Amino acid sequence: MDRTDLARDLAAIVGADHVRVDDGALAAYARDATPLFHALPQAVVLPGSTEEVAAVLKYATERAVPVVPRGAGSNLCAGTVPLTGGIVLALTRLDRILEVSSEELLARVQTGVTTARLADAAARAGLLYAPDPGSRTVSTVGGNVATCAGGLRGLKYGVTRNYVLGLEAVLPTGEIIRTGGRLWKDVAGYDLTRLLTGSEGTLAVITEVTVALLPAPAETGTGVAYFPSLADASRAVTDVIAAGIVPATLEFLDRKCIVAVEEFAGLGLRQDAGALLLFGDDGDARAVATHLGRIQEVCDRAGALEVTLAEDVARADALLAARRCSLPALSRLGSVTVLEDATVPRHRLAEMVDRIDEIAARHDLTIATFGHAGDGNLHPTCVLDPDDHEAVDRTHAAFAEIFAAAIALDGTITGEHGVGAAKLPYLADRLGADQVALLRRIKNAFDPAGILNPGKLGS
Amino acid sequence: MTDPTNDHRTAQAGPGHTGGGPPAARPATGPEQNGHGAGPEPGRGIFDKDLLDRCISCGFCLPACPTYALTGEETSSPRGRITLMRALETGRLDEDDPTLAEESSFCLGCRACETVCPAGVEYGLLLEQWRDHQWRGRHRPWLARLLMALVSRPWLLRLQGLVRRHARGGGSPAAKPETGPADQPVSLMLGCVERGLYPKVSRAVQQLCPEVTVPPGQGCCGALHAHNGDSRTGAELAEALGERLPGTVLTTAGGCAAHLAHHLGRDRVEELSEYLDRDGRRPTGQVTVDGRRARATLQDSCHLRNGLGVSRPPRDLIAEVADFVELPGADRCCGAAGTYSMLRPSDSRAVLDPKLEDLDRLDVDFIVAVNPGCLRQLQQSLRRRRSRVRAVHLAEFLAMASGPGTGGGTGSREL
Repeated sequence: MDRTDLARDLAAIVGADHVRVDDGALAAYARDATPLFHALPQAVVLPGSTEEVAAVLKYATERAVPVVPRGAGSNLCAGTVPLTGGIVLALTRLDRILEVSSEELLARVQTGVTTARLADAAARAGLLYAPDPGSRTVSTVGGNVATCAGGLRGLKYGVTRNYVLGLEAVLPTGEIIRTGGRLWKDVAGYDLTRLLTGSEGTLAVITEVTVALLPAPAETGTGVAYFPSLADASRAVTDVIAAGIVPATLEFLDRKCIVAVEEFAGLGLRQDAGALLLFGDDGDARAVATHLGRIQEVCDRAGALEVTLAEDVARADALLAARRCSLPALSRLGSVTVLEDATVPRHRLAEMVDRIDEIAARHDLTIATFGHAGDGNLHPTCVLDPDDHEAVDRTHAAFAEIFAAAIALDGTITGEHGVGAAKLPYLADRLGADQVALLRRIKNAFDPAGILNPGKLGS
Repeated sequence: MTDPTNDHRTAQAGPGHTGGGPPAARPATGPEQNGHGAGPEPGRGIFDKDLLDRCISCGFCLPACPTYALTGEETSSPRGRITLMRALETGRLDEDDPTLAEESSFCLGCRACETVCPAGVEYGLLLEQWRDHQWRGRHRPWLARLLMALVSRPWLLRLQGLVRRHARGGGSPAAKPETGPADQPVSLMLGCVERGLYPKVSRAVQQLCPEVTVPPGQGCCGALHAHNGDSRTGAELAEALGERLPGTVLTTAGGCAAHLAHHLGRDRVEELSEYLDRDGRRPTGQVTVDGRRARATLQDSCHLRNGLGVSRPPRDLIAEVADFVELPGADRCCGAAGTYSMLRPSDSRAVLDPKLEDLDRLDVDFIVAVNPGCLRQLQQSLRRRRSRVRAVHLAEFLAMASGPGTGGGTGSREL
């Protein structure tokens, strides 16, 4: 479809100020945070209401124009790259916090509110929004729901799906639906809230989210343990859980990550250790102290080089912030960082770490690994020079092997980043042909014209 | 993770085979649009490749960017602008592309994105290179050209001084440099804008720090040029000024401090608050209003805070002589941004307005600035708003506390 016609028609829906068809805007929206993926849309539309979203989708279905919904574009699976052109539907203008209720323990926000803003609004009401993906200052709640984002508190608190009570969403054909609501118990019909959570913008466009909140824990505590190797740290993680402790945070970084993070954050992290385990818990002050003390003991017994507790909240926050920026900090080693999030059952973490090291060595690659040790969610990150084509090829080969290794260990190809365009080729390995076919039938039921985020899940 | 060539295949094969008919829109992917995956593109040589390669597009910079806060559009975020720079460099966007022109000018250059960038992207340098290209020759806004021409002529700067009483005051000529506490001569830089608009600032510094010398014949430091598309002249002026000012260069302008530090070395340049802080010197007296201790807040200078990492010293100094109250978002640009407030007045005001509302709620007597551009921006807008809050430079504020002199007298709040 001609660009100027498209611009005219879309401007009639959202206003000319909120349609961009200039080459510069198309270039800026041609990519998200995923390296190596890049495709130009024909138009960028920034709707200001659910009704405008519905009108754009109805129009797109009639004209068979692809639509790629996008929040902040911080995803790492090429989930918002407009592979086949069409419209990028940027939802950043839908950024109002509609309510935070301490009586009902819930919040209702528009899709484009950032995760950190929701968390801050909840905190001001003495409440906790538990999911905390690493990109929380950037990412939008709608994007979190669309990818079922995880985060640092996954082990104790679960992930985004555990907190979504209800959604307002627009079907590709233009109908506005509300799924779930303000209820913890509601079994009327298929659980469409859960289906849309993690659907990566392929079934409907999420415009409003109702999330469950928790009373804010009275106390949080954080500590750091250093180990000779990542495998040692992984064994300590298993021991911690076996000791009956389920801490809020159990994160690890290997030596390469420690060095990169230290360079950015300057926290005085010990750089001679092979691995760092960041642990933390929250709740009643006595319980936190007891848990941290026991984790400290377990780590000591498991051969930790050193275990220390953060002396105050500021220090704990700094440690967590440093952990969240591991990925970009790693780019100091090379300008392209290809990050994946293969996930295995927790007790197989050490095995998986060994496999990654072996695969990296065999392909002559620098792979740094960090991740959420508590839930077996690894982030092996390959750092390379984009101009070294051979290395790019070796990276692809290595990650194919890493995915296969994770599946062989009863794990998965992605724990929290999503499939997007980046992992679609591996999806059948994880799900099998029957499930892939079912996904396609579901996609077809929602999106008969196949306009929503083509080339991703269900395609 | 997909092979980039696979990426093309997927794209060109068309979407939604199973989801219904293929969309009518033409697939837009192709090797020429594929960033890194399509291979090394030759590049126009506008940007330093190492600087440009640093960004991994994680988007951590988005919440720090004042212009992204205004529009919510990717093009006006640091990440989006770097994507635009890359498209310019590789030739995917035309040199005369209007979005490139608009976004290179819409950016405040506040460098708030640098402080939150874990990858260490030096955005300020990238912006200088971008504007060097974008604002080459006649593409530069005429007002910026005029200002740059003015400040490049030292005799004009001296003329300003004659008209408005010389900023150097009656004091010490440079012939016999006195030494500072560190046995290193300390030369006060007058600043090309400041000496004309705010001559009292330099006099206040001389009152506070009698050991500093004020060498004659000072020109512009070149920050103005570097931020307005002429980084070469910016560098030359900085070097020249460095030769004229012996020892430590003491400046009362955050913007000049960051520019000079980049060219002369960090250890040769000190902004007033860090200079006083380093010596552990504490200002004396206090600023009073209607017989009570004044309440004061600080607006950070972006380049001082984001470029040089100086944020605590001015706060500590203010707290010595008044009740310090933190302004929410003090670390965010006030919209002055060098020539920005003159080149893009309405955007400048849009950036500033939320800050003024926060300031109203703060109930302070003074807002202290550590850069002349910020001072001008705050003074003008507070006057327009008929606010009772008075904007002053840190040097004047401290001098005000220490007694009669250039600051207008203890406790004086006259406007």
